[in-house]
Amino acid sequence: MTAMLGLNQHGGGRPLRSRPPAGLGWVGQPRLLRGIASRDLTSYAEHLGEHGPRPTLTREALLAQLDAVALAGRGGAGFSLAAKIRSLRSGPDARPVVVVNGCEGEPASAKDAALLTRVPHLVLDGALAAAAALYPDAAVYPDAALDAGRALDPGRVLIAVSSPSVAAAVQRAVAARPDSPRFQTHLLPERYITGEARALISALNGGAATPPGRRVLPSESGVGGQPTLLSNAETFAQLAYLTRVGPAGFAEVGTRREPGTTLLTVSGAVARPGVMEVALGTPLSAVAEAVGAEPARAVVIGGYHGGWLSEQTLRSGPVPISRAGLGAVGATLGAGAVMFLGVDTCALGELTRVAQWLADQSAKNCGPCAFGLPALVQDLLALNGGSAGPAGPAGAAGPVGPVGSAGLAALDRHARMVAGRGACSHPDGAVRFLSSGLAALADEVRDHQAHGGCGRPVQGDLPL
Amino acid sequence: MRTATSHEAAAVGAGSLRIDWTRCDGHGHCAALLPRAITLDDWGYPMIDAAAVGDEHLSDVKRAVSACPSLALRLER
Repeated sequence: MTAMLGLNQHGGGRPLRSRPPAGLGWVGQPRLLRGIASRDLTSYAEHLGEHGPRPTLTREALLAQLDAVALAGRGGAGFSLAAKIRSLRSGPDARPVVVVNGCEGEPASAKDAALLTRVPHLVLDGALAAAAALYPDAAVYPDAALDAGRALDPGRVLIAVSSPSVAAAVQRAVAARPDSPRFQTHLLPERYITGEARALISALNGGAATPPGRRVLPSESGVGGQPTLLSNAETFAQLAYLTRVGPAGFAEVGTRREPGTTLLTVSGAVARPGVMEVALGTPLSAVAEAVGAEPARAVVIGGYHGGWLSEQTLRSGPVPISRAGLGAVGATLGAGAVMFLGVDTCALGELTRVAQWLADQSAKNCGPCAFGLPALVQDLLALNGGSAGPAGPAGAAGPVGPVGSAGLAALDRHARMVAGRGACSHPDGAVRFLSSGLAALADEVRDHQAHGGCGRPVQGDLPL
Repeated sequence: MRTATSHEAAAVGAGSLRIDWTRCDGHGHCAALLPRAITLDDWGYPMIDAAAVGDEHLSDVKRAVSACPSLALRLER
């Protein structure tokens, strides 16, 4: 990898897994994925043929467009991109840095890899539009003035990825562009935590790809101590689409408060797993139909820091894929990973496998996360087997046996000792995922407590 | 299973008593010096009870901060 020209590799980038190429699809009309069936959009000419030239907007014009469609980040937090740009520290010394976060460490998410390998120029255009808006005097820093070895030249865009194959695809795309000196690709260690904003910035600054202990805002002091606009790859692709069609065109689909489309990565008990582009507000049932989902025992949405939708929630009415629609049923859109659990799998076992993965992904820099997540895994293993001791009265109404209750109490106690106690949100996200799962699987948990299991094998519907 | 209080910070004087989790090694001196405000979890890491720390404890808090061998306990402005 190190022989790859111009690639900045950080740390030991050993891949954790091989991810099969995801299928690409859509419900309704594709936008980011438009033209993908008929053109090779990794070609810059084909990209321009499909989407037209990239408009250059001033900071004010860009912010007005972002405000008009309330464009929210697509990396998980769903934070307003306009607010993120406005929060960048200004002043005579401030030279804002634009970073594309393409580190997709979540096994259930493949949408950023799909964008960066299949429609890379849309992402690069969006990042460049942001950089140009932040440097109204971009002409002062023409391409020729950029120093290849210096990342922080004004108007430069850094692309951070954690998969060697995605890095190679990005480099090929960059090399195909006339404005290639604007971009610098960085390959970071392939771990879940690398994608966390402050961990990523620490890695770009030559440090470990782990979050620092002190709370520093990237908008104040990010790459090279400069105010840093760090956003997810899809966010920049959406931005590129917005600058071409304008707010009215952008808002032709989606909901009134959340216009546009979003990318989902759909997996689990489905016939056609892959990356799907859907208008915000599309009902989950339409996604299920499009991917050929089996009747679901539960759905995990928003990835492994996200939440579970119970069978009851799925039956009680349509669930719109939007931040508001998912918020109404106690879930989050996150980075758009959607996993269908089949009726033939042991869902508690699936949850426990993911809990083990979440514990393994801890950077182990913070004690409560390093020790607490493994303790939660042990609690869950005990619960899977109906707890480590004799089970309570099988099938009895009312409280399960004393050992079973103790199992849930231990989980509860440990969860409270983990949530909110770390340098990053990994322990919080992990506890949110586990709590939500145990609530959605209350019936199955009772089966395990009463009978020492549910009789179903773990099918691996939650990808790891 | 609930997600409850974060045991993370407490307002003291003009500052905020915080733990740098990347530094804390669970020595436990803080819990010994501020027994009412700080207890230890199952693994020996401090849990701050924000309700039990007030401005009147400022000098004790400062003592605990300076006693932390890992420089993990901080009074941040």
